[in-house]
Amino acid sequence: MHHAFSSYHPAVAFAFIVSAALLSMAAMHPVYVALSLAGALAASIVLRGARQTARSLAWVVPMCAIMACANPLFSASGSTELFHIGGLVVYVESVVYGLCSGGMFAAVFLWFASYARCMTSENSLALLGNIAPTVTLMASQVLRLVPQFVSRGASVAAVQDAASAAAPVTKRDAAHGRFRIVSVLMEWGMEDGICRTDAMRARGYGCGAKRTTYKRFRFGRADAALTAAIVALAASNAGLIAAACSAYEFYPAMTPLHMQAGYAAYAAFLAIPIVLQAKEWWQWRSLK
Amino acid sequence: MAFVEVEGYSFAYPPAEGGATRLRAGVSDASCADERAWVVRDVGFQVEEGDFCVIVGATGCGKTTLLRSLKPELSPVGAREGSIRAAGRTLVEDGAVVQGFTPLESASTIGYVMQDPGAQIVCDTVWHELAFGLENLGVAQDEMRRRVAEVAHFFGIEPWVRSSVEELSGGQQQLVNLAAVLALRPRLLLLDEPTAQLDPNALKRFLFMLARVNRELGITVVMATHAPEDVAAYATRVVELQPLGAGASREEAEEKIAPRRKARREALAKADVAVEVRDAFVRYDRQAPWVLRGMDVRVRRGSVHALVGGNGCGKSTLLKLMAGILRPQRGSVKNALAGSQALMPQDPKALFVCDSVAEELHEWSARCGYGEDDEAEALRRFGLAQHASQHPYDLSGGQQQKLAFAKLLLTGAQLLFLDEPTKGLDPASCADASRIVRALADEGRTVVVVTHDLDFALVTADEVSMLFDGETACTEPAEEFFANNLVYRPNAHARLFGEV
Repeated sequence: MHHAFSSYHPAVAFAFIVSAALLSMAAMHPVYVALSLAGALAASIVLRGARQTARSLAWVVPMCAIMACANPLFSASGSTELFHIGGLVVYVESVVYGLCSGGMFAAVFLWFASYARCMTSENSLALLGNIAPTVTLMASQVLRLVPQFVSRGASVAAVQDAASAAAPVTKRDAAHGRFRIVSVLMEWGMEDGICRTDAMRARGYGCGAKRTTYKRFRFGRADAALTAAIVALAASNAGLIAAACSAYEFYPAMTPLHMQAGYAAYAAFLAIPIVLQAKEWWQWRSLK
Repeated sequence: MAFVEVEGYSFAYPPAEGGATRLRAGVSDASCADERAWVVRDVGFQVEEGDFCVIVGATGCGKTTLLRSLKPELSPVGAREGSIRAAGRTLVEDGAVVQGFTPLESASTIGYVMQDPGAQIVCDTVWHELAFGLENLGVAQDEMRRRVAEVAHFFGIEPWVRSSVEELSGGQQQLVNLAAVLALRPRLLLLDEPTAQLDPNALKRFLFMLARVNRELGITVVMATHAPEDVAAYATRVVELQPLGAGASREEAEEKIAPRRKARREALAKADVAVEVRDAFVRYDRQAPWVLRGMDVRVRRGSVHALVGGNGCGKSTLLKLMAGILRPQRGSVKNALAGSQALMPQDPKALFVCDSVAEELHEWSARCGYGEDDEAEALRRFGLAQHASQHPYDLSGGQQQKLAFAKLLLTGAQLLFLDEPTKGLDPASCADASRIVRALADEGRTVVVVTHDLDFALVTADEVSMLFDGETACTEPAEEFFANNLVYRPNAHARLFGEV
């Protein structure tokens, strides 16, 4: 399925989502958390679709609520008393802190979900390919073998199940049969390995030449420009966030909030996938 | 000087010591290698540049060994005599291996395609597989792109170039293997029974592409096969390592089995129904399309019932349904013999769990209550007595098939499901399989067989159901079925028919 980053090199999506997740984790500040959450939510909708996002929210929201409620129970600090139940005093500061950590958790979770959507195994390998070609090749082989093992395991199990004429008499016998599947698969895999090694050597593996790596994705000018923009925005935001967070305190009383240029810069950074999506939407709309 | 010259070439594997054979490559030669015997004896032939040369011989006659001797990376270890020259270089001179090619030259000059489509694929996606050899040779990025594009275009792979190799059919996988080798731009292409595991349609498509490679690109092809009739239209040169049986025409075969057919028909007329599938609907996932939609089929007790049809028509799914591995989402399956059945998978390896042939046959003795005498008898009946101590994987394809049969028959199962029992077998083994199945039916056992091999179905089956689009297109006695089909029919002449 197509998404906002899919026409770009995987490095672009990687740079954006990883820096967004890192900044979200670092920014423990009510306004920044709100922005992170809004950005993560928007990115998730743009990259994964509204339905998938709603499905993750179904358990992310309750998690957040639990974290928000739990914090005042365990940390009874702050200065503005909200109410008290028995001997337990609940402060506004403590509730806000709980809400912020819940929101941060939700945002980081959504970034990870978006990461999984954009960085398929192939995309991750494309990034890794430049750094570790051998690892890339190995990963590619493993990715090939895993589904093969699973389907073979299923066929061995099916053969055992279908052989009612030789059905296991005892439970122990049956369990042993299942356990044996693993060793059968290992041996079968090794047998294949001989053939595969031959196929590799026949096509010049280990022939002495320095291996090159076929690049499925080209890192073009547009990719470079977008990555540069992402890195620059992320770096400047990191500075602004550090300053904002060090100037802000939850306890004993919350520092008053006022408008800062940093909020706008962070919002601009988080808007990148939305802008990409909007651009595309506009292109297709104008063609109709 | 000819492009390939083989002069008085002989080869013998070193004598086997215990389990050492397990590690040696060239599985199909396993049976020949036990004692120090010549696997290939005094072979001589020449191939000109641009030839399509076919090396003919039954399984285990040394075709693989000979082909491997032509490819330095895969050259077997052992004693040899004679000499081999290829593409202007010497590979073997008076029984000694000469390094005529550097490894890099060899990889790019001589291409090699093996039998098993899936096992020789290295990477997870089609494009990576096409690029794999080029990466090994250190080809530069732009050149690599051009070559991958070229071969993908030539073979029509473009539409599925991003697919995972696991999703492809065997025929597609084998095309990828050929394309991946061709991307290296070899001058000589060696193929070891490349179509043995393909269904008839895929086989024709593969050979057609191979012929184009040979004629349009001028690449010399040397292909080993036990079915030279498939490539008769393309071959320019034939080397017979071992004369094959002459074969017979379809009429002769039908004449020979006519009395049996008559007797079987009379015997089955009164037979009751063993397995009945009624209006069955099956799909593998809620979102997936139906594989079977309204399938109706009845298998009579004591009959050999063949299920035939193209790829993806639901043959194997129907077999799983009958065997109780799958349940229909709608409709019903009644199996009167459900308590005494066994399934032979497409690949007999899925049935083997032990380290030797003898242990394999002994595995179910406690469960099914057969004794050592029965095991010895099974070994003898299937001609496996001298292989009793071998590992099942070291047997040839035909022998593995026989071992699977032996193991399943020892259970005393009254109902047998066979999934493509003739895949990869040469005509002699195929005829063996047919004899075994017919003998089972004569004993009163019921056999349901899924097959692509119409020749096999013609001489083996009592009834044939043709599946199409998840339904039964027709069910008829074998005689009528094959008489009424115009396009979907057995070969007019086959070596299997000579062995009936």
